[in-house]
Amino acid sequence: MKVDESKCLGCGRCRAYCTMGAISFTRDARGRVCAQVDQHECVDCGVCFRAEVCPGEALYEPKPEWPRSVRSTFSNPLVEHKETRIPGRGTEEMKTNDVTGRFKWGEAGMAVEMGRPGTGARFTDIEKVAMALSSLGDIHFEPKNPLTGLMADKNTGKMNPEVMDEKVLSAIIEMTVPLDRVQDVIGAVRKVAQELSTVCSFDLTCKVHPGDTVPAFDLARKAGVSPTINGKTNVGLGKPFFEEVKQ
Amino acid sequence: MSHTLHRRGTAENLKNDFVIFAMSAKGINEIDSNVKLRRFLEIVREFNPVNFGDMKTGNYFITSEETIIASAKDTSIVHGVFDNREAFIKALKAIKDADLGVSVIVSGLLDDTHECCRQAGINRHTCEASLGVWGKTERLPDEDILRVSTMCGHGMVPFSLVKKVIEDIKEGRRTINEAAQELAKPCQCGVFNPGRAAALLEEIMCLWGIRVA
Ligand code: SF4
Ligand code: SF4
Repeated sequence: MKVDESKCLGCGRCRAYCTMGAISFTRDARGRVCAQVDQHECVDCGVCFRAEVCPGEALYEPKPEWPRSVRSTFSNPLVEHKETRIPGRGTEEMKTNDVTGRFKWGEAGMAVEMGRPGTGARFTDIEKVAMALSSLGDIHFEPKNPLTGLMADKNTGKMNPEVMDEKVLSAIIEMTVPLDRVQDVIGAVRKVAQELSTVCSFDLTCKVHPGDTVPAFDLARKAGVSPTINGKTNVGLGKPFFEEVKQ
Repeated sequence: MSHTLHRRGTAENLKNDFVIFAMSAKGINEIDSNVKLRRFLEIVREFNPVNFGDMKTGNYFITSEETIIASAKDTSIVHGVFDNREAFIKALKAIKDADLGVSVIVSGLLDDTHECCRQAGINRHTCEASLGVWGKTERLPDEDILRVSTMCGHGMVPFSLVKKVIEDIKEGRRTINEAAQELAKPCQCGVFNPGRAAALLEEIMCLWGIRVA
């Protein structure tokens, strides 16, 4: 996001709408107070622009060139990723699991949402987590996730060096793991989290197993982490319903 | 893209917060699903949700319900929010009976939404919970701000905006309800619960200072 100094009235209304605290104020050449956006910190989420609070219509978003273009695709939910055609930053994950069968019996879906809530993440931090998870072996990164597409090496989690200086509002590292690796993934995230300069939110998904149990949640508890009391439930109304072949 | 997963709060202040949403699976049941997603929104609307929206079009506080319904596309994710448990169960049952064939997801306290599903005659298929926030948590603002802001999982409700509306209320520039509605606007999907936000703001009002990251 940028500010057209010739239109800015210096009213300050945009500032509270900035998700990253990237808007500050300075004086222009004529000594008038004017908003400015710190381009290094701005994630191109578009919240300030969409809020329609600018009386001078001074905010504008120039079409970003690569690699800055990754900022808006991960930060502005109105921008669709080419790979998934889903606006936002992840995939359909558990939302369509009744139809896709993405997470099966004996598996868990796990995701590390880098920069969430509200702090943003740089690819240097994203790479640290991706590499720590890759080193566990037999972790299956979701191929449709746009972040997976930015990995230079999907076996090591190394990111394309061109994007390393970019900052996004959040980016989700999504994976499917056998249930018996849930505790290993928790251990890896626990360790790498100590090296991060930002926060991440950690997600755990599992099919409801016979007897109305969710075994992945019990495994997390055994690893010393309590799943939250609130969450999401796919209620299985989608068609055609995905039927697993019995082993 | 777990946009309703990381709502923060206690069992008490999360109990009247139910989100229901629907989408089609790309490449499987996507073609012409816009008709089903529109029907989903029409059914949800019958039970008086407190918010309503489609990420592509916007929410109840920035555009009309008619526009949201008419604009649903095959790739849309359409949402409704309830602050009333009975209405939520009725909506869930009506959606089941309509047999739309798109995936339907509910969000709320897991034990309670389980019970609501049971009462609506629905079996749970897949569950997702948060394992919390990790890393440099000292960069986060006070819990009071987080509880409001995390109702938009995409992070479209800035911490600084929550702080600003608190100051506005304290200085008499907005009522609590006006502030809650202002906060609902940037959450494009329409999953922000303004009623819950108003209740949380009411609680915050007794605090002297709020730390914003
Ligand atoms: S686009 Fe987002 S991060 Fe950039 S100035 Fe606007 S609100 Fe702030
Ligand atoms: S809202 Fe517009 S006019 Fe006011 S300070 Fe921001 S950019 Fe300038």
